[in-house]
Amino acid sequence: MKIILELFGASRDFSEKGHIDFEIPKPILIKDFRKVITDYLNDKFNGNTSFLQIVKNSAFCSEENEIISDNYKITKSQKISIIPPIGGG
Amino acid sequence: MLHTKIIDTQKEQIKISDAEQFIASSKFGANIYFTGTVRNLNDNKEVTGITYDSHDEMVIKSFEEIYNETEQKLNIQDKAVFIEHVKGYVKLGEMSIIIAVACKHRDQAYVLSRYIIEEIKKRTPIWKKEHYINEDSQWLKGNPIKT
Repeated sequence: MKIILELFGASRDFSEKGHIDFEIPKPILIKDFRKVITDYLNDKFNGNTSFLQIVKNSAFCSEENEIISDNYKITKSQKISIIPPIGGG
Repeated sequence: MLHTKIIDTQKEQIKISDAEQFIASSKFGANIYFTGTVRNLNDNKEVTGITYDSHDEMVIKSFEEIYNETEQKLNIQDKAVFIEHVKGYVKLGEMSIIIAVACKHRDQAYVLSRYIIEEIKKRTPIWKKEHYINEDSQWLKGNPIKT
């Protein structure tokens, strides 16, 4: 299945496209997907610690615009948003 | 009575006159206008502007949730609330947010206005990238959203 990770805030520095596409062979928990993203960034940016910190401190949001926990299982192709620490106003 | 909108600065301007028009239509007696603007200094760095990023659907959802919960949490039933926040680039001194509220009494209006901005800071998915006079820029550290 294809998971399109939509990037916001500081995570936009991960890709100029505004998203990163992942091909995942089977359903995956958010906590494991977080590891997939970390591995991708480690590989692509030589362990850029600030990028890894962003992933560690981020929440995730489903296509239904709900914040989802680490135990949420992604079972089908969909868009998932990464929500780094926020600060509007 | 609620109005919410995200203003894309590439397409339109955020305007206090829109808030005034909305609040005037509510007929309540106590009105407060809060605006946030880009300030010149942050961490001793001279700021020239901020680029705001936004998860639009989540932002509007959070504005609606904040509005709806004020009935129970603050016990304010009769109110008009106008919330607009920009996304995109905003220059030094320009507005990034307008929160306008109208209630029957001034104590309610002050409490409501303060509550809304504090909750937006805590939970609305908006991000800031500051631009500095030396042409450097950086995303600001924010508050993690609770899951």
